[in-house]
Amino acid sequence: MRYDVTHTTRYRYTDAVLLSHHVARLSPLTLPHQTCLSQEIEIDPAPAITRRHRDFYGNEMTFFIMEGAHHELRVTARSRVEVHRPAMPGPLADAPWESARDHEQLPLDVIEYAFDSPAIRPTEEVAHYARPSFTPGRPLLEAVLELVERIHADFRFDPQATTVATPLADVMRLRRGVCQDFSQLGIGCLRTMGLAARYVSGYIETLPPPGQPRLVGADASHAWLSVYCPGAGWIDLDPTNNVVPGEMHITLARGRDYGDVSPLRGVMLGGGEHQLSVAVDVLRLDA
Amino acid sequence: MNPTASGGSTVTSLLEEYRVRDGVFDEAFGAGRGLRPFCEPLFSSLDRLGRHELASRRENARRAIRDNGVTYNVYGDPAGSDRPWTLDMVPLPIAAAEWIRIEAGLVQRARLLNTILGDLYGPMRLVGEGVLPPSLIHANPAFLRPCHGIDVPGGVRLHLLAVDLARSPDGQWRVLSDRTQAPSGAGYALENRIVLSRSLPEAFRECQVPQLSAFFRAHRDGLAMLAPPLSRDPRVVVLTPGPLNETYFEHAYLARYLGFTLVEGGDLTCRDGRVFIKTLDRLQPVDVILRRLDDSYCDPLELRAESTLGVAGLVEAVRAGHVTVANALGSGLTETPGIAAFLPDLCRRLLGEELLLQPARSWWCGHPDDLTYVLEHAQDLVIKRALPHAAAPPIFGRLLTREQLRALRSALRARPEEFVGQREVALSVAPSWSGQAFHPRQAVLRAYVAVAGDSWVVMPGGLTRTGADDGEPIVSMQRGGGSKDTWIIGDEPPQAASLLPPAQVRVRREQHGTDLPSRVADNLFWLGRQVERAEQTVRLLRSFVTAATREDTAARTPEVAALERLLVALGAWPASAADDDVSLPSLEHTLTELFSPDGPESTLRAPLADIRRIAMSVRDRLSLDTWRILSQLQADFTLRRGRLQVDDVLQHLNQLVTDLAAFAGMEMENMTRGYGWRFLDMGRRLERALETARLVRSALAVANPVTTVLASLLEIADSSMTYRRRYFAEPQLPPVLDLLLGDTTNTRALAFQLNALTDHLAQLPHDDASAQVNHQAARLAAAAQLLDRADFAELGLTGEDQDYGPLLHLLDQMDEPLLGLSDALAASYFSHAEVRVSQ
Repeated sequence: MRYDVTHTTRYRYTDAVLLSHHVARLSPLTLPHQTCLSQEIEIDPAPAITRRHRDFYGNEMTFFIMEGAHHELRVTARSRVEVHRPAMPGPLADAPWESARDHEQLPLDVIEYAFDSPAIRPTEEVAHYARPSFTPGRPLLEAVLELVERIHADFRFDPQATTVATPLADVMRLRRGVCQDFSQLGIGCLRTMGLAARYVSGYIETLPPPGQPRLVGADASHAWLSVYCPGAGWIDLDPTNNVVPGEMHITLARGRDYGDVSPLRGVMLGGGEHQLSVAVDVLRLDA
Repeated sequence: MNPTASGGSTVTSLLEEYRVRDGVFDEAFGAGRGLRPFCEPLFSSLDRLGRHELASRRENARRAIRDNGVTYNVYGDPAGSDRPWTLDMVPLPIAAAEWIRIEAGLVQRARLLNTILGDLYGPMRLVGEGVLPPSLIHANPAFLRPCHGIDVPGGVRLHLLAVDLARSPDGQWRVLSDRTQAPSGAGYALENRIVLSRSLPEAFRECQVPQLSAFFRAHRDGLAMLAPPLSRDPRVVVLTPGPLNETYFEHAYLARYLGFTLVEGGDLTCRDGRVFIKTLDRLQPVDVILRRLDDSYCDPLELRAESTLGVAGLVEAVRAGHVTVANALGSGLTETPGIAAFLPDLCRRLLGEELLLQPARSWWCGHPDDLTYVLEHAQDLVIKRALPHAAAPPIFGRLLTREQLRALRSALRARPEEFVGQREVALSVAPSWSGQAFHPRQAVLRAYVAVAGDSWVVMPGGLTRTGADDGEPIVSMQRGGGSKDTWIIGDEPPQAASLLPPAQVRVRREQHGTDLPSRVADNLFWLGRQVERAEQTVRLLRSFVTAATREDTAARTPEVAALERLLVALGAWPASAADDDVSLPSLEHTLTELFSPDGPESTLRAPLADIRRIAMSVRDRLSLDTWRILSQLQADFTLRRGRLQVDDVLQHLNQLVTDLAAFAGMEMENMTRGYGWRFLDMGRRLERALETARLVRSALAVANPVTTVLASLLEIADSSMTYRRRYFAEPQLPPVLDLLLGDTTNTRALAFQLNALTDHLAQLPHDDASAQVNHQAARLAAAAQLLDRADFAELGLTGEDQDYGPLLHLLDQMDEPLLGLSDALAASYFSHAEVRVSQ
């Protein structure tokens, strides 16, 4: 499936910003099941300098500096992406979940995701919540699917309840949140069980094909999680929609938690209060 | 102590009382309790001085430390943020022959840790090949992912390494910990050396102690060499978290000693991928940043977002190769306690050498065998977090109850990879001088290694810290310990060396002192204002006390009553006291309150507190003499205790006037006429102008007739002599007005201040941003003209209704441009914009 994604972020400041520095992670990854065909980031007003790098996690990051007073900043990322349905997990995903706990068996690039991270520091409550799904000897995939289903059932989608900085403990208490909270909670659960799990930022299709329901999280950037299964590799799961991502999920970046993949962060000098608005449009192209 | 066979010592008297402890390694005394031979020159020299002389030299050393403002901020200390540094009169003695071995071990350690950092921030083979357990790196908050893959000049990440060493009972030096990100203490070591070598010149000479200056020169040159090759005049800055940091004294001290500019995060800015320092008239490129900020605080954009101590975009500037940060960002990783257990193996593998300086024997609990050992021996070990963890101090097994040990063991079993067990090093002791006698105190040596080009240089000495008392298992300045100088005692005279600039230094003539950061200009401006404000209040009080005690102290003369109202109006005297009689006891009571440490807020206490705070944050810009004067000023204000007598008070106020005059003298005669001086002087002039106008205005309002206070006004404005010389008469209003307001030759007159300000403004850098200042300068010139044209004979005429309307109107016209100027300077030259982070 091919998509055109337009992701617009707009800051409006009450006072002029004199200088600001930003890092954007707005360029979709190219993966076995996904190809980024074209990508551009338009910044208005024009930045003084722009640089692109790959970060530690392999994501493409764009660094830019805004010099000179401005009251508004608009960053528009336009990407054309082709997505295939990821390969179905192989039979190894049916191995008992305990077999994935042994860190010594994990590939080096996976171990990074097995530990606590700045935004995911699971409490005993989180471990307590996770345990019922991980009964002894249960196949990994089965256990994880159930965990994701429980999060979907127990937590209500509520964009007013949390912010990007809400800690897990508060999400546990509120039983509300958005895709970021549900993904980080799921990751926390998996890590407390000794598994490696990572955070995926991306998009889902805005207008579904006829007959299919419109998914929650469209019109904004989306997030889900990925769990490592020895032998089978990474398996993505979307706790917000309780689905296994397929052709309608477009992967932007991956990291330990939101902090590693935040689509656009900035440090502004001046500016007073700022107002942020984000618009995402994912358009399916006729094949 | 009897003369010993080994040393043939004649040292007897003072050391006789010294009790060598059983089972503990004593740095000065060997087996058989005899003085170690190499220590003999030191102790025989100390002994020759004798108890009284040592006591007096110690007092001198203390004074030197206080006068030089050597402080150490103790977090959470209610006694104030800066505590005087404590230095013992006995240095830690180390034999030159032994030092050679330590030195080799330190250099090896620097090479090793630098190589480890190079691998972990590069190919990560040590993790890939299973040499280091992945959890020590991947679970480690000190592993800064954004810094991975960044190349550094010459492959050097550690430009300065500090190693805490302690000697175990077997006589071997063991490493307690490494400081690899922003090691502190080198400046204190230098100051200790300067003070102690001056206090004990005889001993210092006899012991043939090598000097420290060559080390600092190597460190300085090593940093300057890091500048990109094209940079002809490399600019190195010292980045400090600011005056509240525990070792801020040292940041300012080293910056001044090494000749680098001291900056805070807000003084730097990243533009075009480069780092600049924000000075008054332009941005100046920075080549090298010697940072005293911890890793994660250096860049709110890519590192810890909550902190604005750092510089947004710094990581990217480093990545682009435009600036070098020393030590490299992320180098705190090798402070990870869990890595220590692997160092012997890493040394063999990476350097092909045996590790010379062994750490205290450590077990990483992530290995099942090690866990078993630690569980079995927990009661005898020190248990630490394997990863850097600020909130978790080491646990001493021997201090735990049975219950606590059980809890510890279950924590170890639950997450074994998070802990290391370490054999406790029973620290050696060294003699310390208590003021009366020598006592053994536990000692830990912090040694330093710096990189200079492609070689490593060890500081011949270091900072020795001593335990507060015998029970405390951790030796730390934060916990109230003391410090010692460290003397390498040799058989040969050391090579002379001092901190000279390298050969070809080009003459740099800076007309304006252009490297003045805006923040510093701001601070100097306010320093000038507060010093002037303090002086005005002191003079007011002095005039009042003089008048009140002149002849008949029981009666309230009209003059005293008017003066008291004047002081109340100007905020220098509590209104509550004004209703009391002016009897001596009540006067003394009020004055005692004004000067007591917990007295009321006053127009004297507030500026003095500000002077202290501001001076602290610009101390690298103040000469040592100036600093001493300001310290004296604070001491003279706070020294007095108990009830004050009136004649004490006068003496006290006279002393404060003298201190303030000394500061003004330093300002006039000892400061380069750069922007720094201009802003300091503008602050003073602006404040004096405002205060003079207020003084006259208030006097007219409270004194009826005003003639009762004219003599005091002249006194307050330091113009009595001039008046007497000029008029030979009792003070009258018109000539007083002329002298205090209109006389452009009187340095205390309002007109003089306006002219001085106008001159300063003409010399400031001008660009688009300074339009506001230009506007205020024009208004100021207009005000000066009004003064010039004023007819004080007319204005000072006392009408029947005591109405000085035209005069008051004239004074009001002075205020506006002055206050407007203060705001305009802030808007144009001082950067106050706030930093915000959006995630």
